[in-house]
Amino acid sequence: MAGLPRRIIKETQRLMAEPVPGISAVPDEQNARYFHVVVAGPEGSPFEGGVFKLELFLPEEYPMSAPKVRFMTKIYHPNIDKLGRICLDILKDKWSPALQIRTVLLSIQALLSAPNPDDPLANDVAELWKVNEVEAIRNAREWTRTYAMGNI
Amino acid sequence: MGNCLQGLTSSTDGVSLLRGNETPPPSLESQSSSDLQLHASSSSGMAFGPPPPYEESMPMYHPTPNVSRPASQLTEEEQVKIAKRIGLIQHLPTGTYDGCKKNRECVICMVEFMVGDSVRYLPCMHTYHVECIDDWLMRSFTCPSCMEPVESALLSTYEAN
Repeated sequence: MAGLPRRIIKETQRLMAEPVPGISAVPDEQNARYFHVVVAGPEGSPFEGGVFKLELFLPEEYPMSAPKVRFMTKIYHPNIDKLGRICLDILKDKWSPALQIRTVLLSIQALLSAPNPDDPLANDVAELWKVNEVEAIRNAREWTRTYAMGNI
Repeated sequence: MGNCLQGLTSSTDGVSLLRGNETPPPSLESQSSSDLQLHASSSSGMAFGPPPPYEESMPMYHPTPNVSRPASQLTEEEQVKIAKRIGLIQHLPTGTYDGCKKNRECVICMVEFMVGDSVRYLPCMHTYHVECIDDWLMRSFTCPSCMEPVESALLSTYEAN
């Protein structure tokens, strides 16, 4: 691994100076490519009131390759599986080096506000979300209370 | 979107996406992993020691955006595709940054353009450092800023002329 690219230093400084509302991202003391992320459940979503921990890693090829992001806190969401992996196009085939840590985290926050059961990662969750949205949202609230409150 | 489930079946990353990346994957970086750790623990802060020597002796190609392979491991079809791509990239105009206030920073490296920097102009008129954009175009033939496919934009330019 070469020295840390200027871009990563710059992005980190900007994230610290102007944090994204509802999101904190702090680089690990040992590894400047690894960020400890905390996302507040968006208002009006079944995740409201919850505090979700994520890990974000900038691979050697960043920004030519997308950051790797994973939920550490359990979450009931059709696009996030039980290992915390996220189905989000910009983390896969729609990645562009014009995107940044900031835009990735904003997209994840938006995904919490707008689950997309037609493009599932967690099949059982997506299925319930489609056939019985009321119950799915109730489950999501329940999981938020159980796993995402008082966990930090 | 829509390819996440497919990706899962072939995925070997198991429980943690990220822990795996802290110890380098066995394929390319295994030889240097002990060096890396020594460097990482002895240096304070952000330096991680020199890059492993293979980077200089063996250029990597990207038959698809997330795959890196040396030329010797490319199929004939991939070699042709990459050769064509190199040819197309060479047709995109280049210039030197003249201090124009409209483009101040290369969004790929996030470093401000300096007068005299070599820049490349895409058909959509977005401008980048030549090295930065060429690295990306070898992976994906799209403009990072507007996602416009460069090839179709090039073709329509030819047709118009």
